[in-house]
Amino acid sequence: MVQAGSMGLPFIGVRGLLGSDLLRQRPDLKVEDNPFHPGEEVVIVPPIRPDVAVFHALQADRWGNAVTAGLRDDLMMARAARRVIVTTEEITDQDLTLQDAVNNTFLPAIHVDGVVHAHFGAHPCRCGLLYPADAVHIKEYLNAAKGEETFRAYLDKYVYSVSSQQGYLQKAGVAAITCEGNRQ
Amino acid sequence: MTEITSEYSPEELMAVVISREVRDLETVGVGAASPIPAAGCILAEQLQAPHITLIILGSKEYYPFPAGSSELHFLAQRGDLDLFFLSGIQMDRHGNINLHVLGDYHSPQMRLPGAYGSAMLYYMAHRVILFRTEHSRRTFVEKVDFVTAAGSTPESVYREGGPTLVVTPKAVLGWDSAHKGWALEAVHPGSTVEEVQENTGFPLEISSSFKITPPPTERELSVLRTIVRQKLERIYPEFARTKIRSDQK
Repeated sequence: MVQAGSMGLPFIGVRGLLGSDLLRQRPDLKVEDNPFHPGEEVVIVPPIRPDVAVFHALQADRWGNAVTAGLRDDLMMARAARRVIVTTEEITDQDLTLQDAVNNTFLPAIHVDGVVHAHFGAHPCRCGLLYPADAVHIKEYLNAAKGEETFRAYLDKYVYSVSSQQGYLQKAGVAAITCEGNRQ
Repeated sequence: MTEITSEYSPEELMAVVISREVRDLETVGVGAASPIPAAGCILAEQLQAPHITLIILGSKEYYPFPAGSSELHFLAQRGDLDLFFLSGIQMDRHGNINLHVLGDYHSPQMRLPGAYGSAMLYYMAHRVILFRTEHSRRTFVEKVDFVTAAGSTPESVYREGGPTLVVTPKAVLGWDSAHKGWALEAVHPGSTVEEVQENTGFPLEISSSFKITPPPTERELSVLRTIVRQKLERIYPEFARTKIRSDQK
């Protein structure tokens, strides 16, 4: 569906899915007769065009070119989205090209609408080889996400009561992880 | 580090059993969160299947594409994936698997990550081997709470392949495509037909080719515990260190 969105298609046919309960829960997945092979049932799905997609990058330059960690399908998602925001560990003075993304993923500026400098911006998830996932924080998040009230408390603690990324990192105890990670 | 006290761990046994199912020259895919199939396929490549094209999500060494996981999905959609592995919180007698919810969809007891392409891969890979480390009545059920991917489909649906085997720490179930159900294909050393039936939530026919699983050979275990363990450590470090015994030579 994101693939269809990235290509600007009105819909796309998908293999499989028939017999899955997904079709009962998702009215946007439709079963049609394949016009090119009459008698064969296929699933037809609409394109996904996210209003906004956010990617966290290892590096970005002033034009919006960015490098994200690992081989990813970010480019497909970036093409599909109407607005793209890149948060990044580092903004470089040097202009980035495809050559700067060996074994990583290059997001060209043409798809990017905004760049935000956010050191440790992937926390509590990992960021390539820079820093690992914060298992303790993810556990706290999972527990908080079980109920409305506990989740509200989580947001109050980590989002609404801080005024900056730095404030969040302090509250989440990331300063300690920072030093560890940099020493390796 | 966990000490493995018996001759081999359940995970090692499952990896060896899976490795024997890999055929040389095949294109084989291993998805996310699948350390046992990953170990089995790397072992197969070291032994009887040296010419496989092996694709392991999350691996650098076994990832022959320039983009993300969509590459594996599109390869399968083109009909070029010979063997793939799936699991599920529940599997049922009709070959259906559940990766979505336990209980009612709208107020579930447990919500799981979801299909992640399995509702396509189960149909488009030529052979799918299911694996599950828990062989019990709560995992092997009469009917799954939610059909993420169906074991069989009507004639009007294009399907390249589907279920072939289920591998657990106790047994191997084989898919009987004529009857659209599972038969008991093999029990592992230390397990019995009665024990397997007792822990399976639906009746199992005994396959005409039923056998006791030949235990892992010395060679299989030694390659698994050296080369395979080393390679696996780069993809699943925790699993490689705790579930595969180290065999320093």
